[in-house]
Amino acid sequence: MSSGRTSQRTARRTAGLLLLAPSLLGTTVFLLVPVAVALWLSLQRWDLVSPPTWAGLDNYAAIAADPAVRRSLVTTVLFTALVIPVQTALGLASALLLDRRLPGSAVFRVTFVVPWVSAPLVVGLVWRWVLDPSTGALNALTGVRVEWLTSPALALPAVAFVTVWTHVGYVALFYLAGLAAIPQELGDAARIDGAGAWRRFWSITLPLLRPTTSFVLVTGIIASFQVFDTVYAMTRGGPGGATQVIAYQIYAEAFTALRMGRAAALSVVLLVVMVALTVSLRWWFARRSTYEMVV
Amino acid sequence: MGAVPLETSVTNHPGRRTTSPTALAASLAALQPTRRAVLRSGLLVGLSGAAGCSIADDPATSSGTSAAATTVTVRIWDDTVQPGYEKSFSAFTQANPDISVAVELVPWASYWDRLPVDVAGGTLPDILWINSSNYDNYVEAGTFENISKALPDALAGFQQSVVQQFTRDGALWGVPQLSDAIALFVNTDLASAAGVDASDLVWNPAGTGDTLLPAAKALTTLGGARPQYGFNAAFDLQAIYYNFVGSNGGRWQADDASYVFGDDPKSVEAIQYVVDLINRHKVAPSAADTNANGDFSRDQFTQGNLALFQSGTYNLRNVADGLTAKWAVAPALTGPAGRVTVTNGIVAVANAKSPRREAALEVLRWLASPEGALFIGAEGAAFPAVTAAQQTYLDYWKQQGVDVSPFLDAAAGETIRAPFGRRAQIGGQAAQPFLREVIAGRLAVADGMRQAQDAANTAIAG
Repeated sequence: MSSGRTSQRTARRTAGLLLLAPSLLGTTVFLLVPVAVALWLSLQRWDLVSPPTWAGLDNYAAIAADPAVRRSLVTTVLFTALVIPVQTALGLASALLLDRRLPGSAVFRVTFVVPWVSAPLVVGLVWRWVLDPSTGALNALTGVRVEWLTSPALALPAVAFVTVWTHVGYVALFYLAGLAAIPQELGDAARIDGAGAWRRFWSITLPLLRPTTSFVLVTGIIASFQVFDTVYAMTRGGPGGATQVIAYQIYAEAFTALRMGRAAALSVVLLVVMVALTVSLRWWFARRSTYEMVV
Repeated sequence: MGAVPLETSVTNHPGRRTTSPTALAASLAALQPTRRAVLRSGLLVGLSGAAGCSIADDPATSSGTSAAATTVTVRIWDDTVQPGYEKSFSAFTQANPDISVAVELVPWASYWDRLPVDVAGGTLPDILWINSSNYDNYVEAGTFENISKALPDALAGFQQSVVQQFTRDGALWGVPQLSDAIALFVNTDLASAAGVDASDLVWNPAGTGDTLLPAAKALTTLGGARPQYGFNAAFDLQAIYYNFVGSNGGRWQADDASYVFGDDPKSVEAIQYVVDLINRHKVAPSAADTNANGDFSRDQFTQGNLALFQSGTYNLRNVADGLTAKWAVAPALTGPAGRVTVTNGIVAVANAKSPRREAALEVLRWLASPEGALFIGAEGAAFPAVTAAQQTYLDYWKQQGVDVSPFLDAAAGETIRAPFGRRAQIGGQAAQPFLREVIAGRLAVADGMRQAQDAANTAIAG
C-alpha cells in the first residue's frame, strides 16, 4: 500500500516534471543562462576582439563613478514619468469609451492595438519620418519647422509620445477586460441610490479596477525602464545624450565603446533595480487592492 | 551570418559531412535555389536525371566550374565600387575556375558596429575592407593575416601614403585598395552666376585675405522656397574638420595617438571658424540637418542647392551621376598654414581564421595586382591604391571632361594624419556627441572640444 502510494507519487512527480520541462527548458536557455553569462561577463574586461580578462569589481566601480550612467538613469526616470501617467490615463479613458459599445467600437478596438503589435523599430522609423525636422511629414504639413528630434528639449518628449501612442491600445485592452469583470448590479444599485456617473466611476469602477491598474503600471514601468528600440530608431540617444536612456547606454557601452564587461555590469544593475521596483510596486498595490466591495 | 553560401560549406569540409550524399542531395534539391550548389558540389550522381536539363543553361556550370569550387566572400561598404569589384572577380574566376568570389555589401552606417561582433562570433568574411580607425587593435589581436609574410612577392606598386598608413612593425596586414583625397567640388553654374571664382579659395580666422566667406555669402540665398547654401560647413571629420584644423596648423591627435584637439588653440580656432560659417554667417545648411543626416550636404550639392562642396574622391561618382548643373573640381581650401588636407587609405584584409585561407590569399594577390585593381578605377568609382591602375581612373574622368588633378595634388601635397591608434574608432565615436553639439551651437566651441577630447581619451583608454 505504502509502496504503491510512493510509486504513485513518483509517477505524478515525473509527469509534473515532464509537463514543466518545455517551459523550464525555455527559462533556462533564454533567461537563466544569459543572466549567468551576464554576471560572469560583468567581472571581465572584454572588447570582443581580444580574449576576455578578469576584472573583478572594476566594472561596477567604473559605472558607479561614471556621470554618463547617472545621467542615463535620470533620463530613464524622466522618460518613465512622462510616459506612465499619460499612457495609463489615456488607456483607461479609451477603455471606458470602447466599453460603451458605440457603433464602430469593434473597429476601434482593433485599431488601438495595431501600434502595440507592430515592431517598435518599425514604429520608431515611421515616426522618425513623420517628425524629422527637415524632411518630415509633420513640418511639411504645418509649414513650421519644429526641431522635434534635434532639440534636446523636445527629443525626449517626442520619443515618450511615440511610446505612449504605441502602448495605449495595450493598456486599454486590459482595462476593457477589467471593466467586463465588474458586476453590472453594483452600478445599478448605486444609480438607484442616486449616484451620478462621476460618483459611480470614482467609488465603484476605479477601486474595482485596482488589480488591473496595478498590472498595467508594473508592466508599463518595466517596459519604460527597458525602452530601447524606439530610441534607437528615432534619435540614437541624441541630441547630445538627451535621449540616452539606460538600455541605450548599455548598448552604447557594448557595441560602440566595446566594453562588454561594463555593459554587462550595467545590465546587472538594471536587473537589480527592476526586481526591487517590481517587488515594491506589487507590495504597495497588494496593500491597497480592495475586493471587499465585491460580495 | 549569411556570409558563407551553402555550396562552400558543403564542398569545403568533406570530413564534416554527416548526412549521406543522397539524403543531402535530396534535401538540397528541395530548396530550389541550391540546385546549382548540388550540381557544383559533385553530389550530382543521384540527381543527374532530374536536373540534367538545367546543366546547359547554368552559366556557372557551363563555364567549367570544377567540383572543388570554393567561394570567397569579400565584404565592402561602398556600393559605387561594387560593380567594378564584381567585374574584377569574374575575370579572376575565369583565370581560377575553382575559386568564385561573392561581394557582400554592408552599409557604412552599420559596417563598424558589425565588425567586432563578427570577430567575436567567428562570422567574419574571408576578406574585408578596413580603414585606419579600425586597424591597430585587430592587428594586435591577430584577427588579420600578416600580408607581408603570406604574400611577400605581391607587395609592390602601391601608393606610398597608403602603405605608410597601414605599416606596423615593418609589415602590412592588408592590401592597399583605395586612396581618398580631398578637394572642392564647385557648381560652376551657380558660381559664375554669382561672379565667384572658386579656383583658389582661402580661409583665415583673422579675416585677412579670406576669400571663402565673401564667396560663400555671395552664393547663399536663404528665405526662398528653395534655399541655396554657399559652403558645406558641417560635422564631417574627413572632408571638413581635419582639413580646417590641418590648414590652420593645428593637430587632432598627438604622435602617441591621444587626442589633443581640445587643448590646441589652432584647432579650436579652426572649428570656431567652421561653426561661425553655419550659425553666425549662415552660409551653410543648419547643423540640425547635417547632424541628423550625414549625406545632407552631398544631397544638397547634387540637387543644385549647394555651391561649394568640399569632399573626397569617394563622392566623385555620386556628384557626376547626380548633379545636372555644370561643375568642376577645384583645390581644397587654403588656410593660414597653407593647403593641408587629409588623405586616407583603405586596405583589404584577410581573416586569419578563414577556413578558405589559401583561396582568400589568391583573391588578395589578385586585388594587389594591376589587372585586378584596374576595374576599381575603370569607371571612376574610386581612386585605386595600386599605382599601375591609377591611370585608368584619370583617363576615365578625362574622358568625362572632369579634371581630377586637384585630388592628386592634394594627395601629393601637405597632409594631416588620418585617425590612427588602437581604439581610434571608439575614440571618434565618444567625441561625436560633443562635437555635434558644438556644431549645433549649443556648446561653446572651446568647452565642447575640450569635453569631446576628454571623452575620446577616456574611451581609447578602454
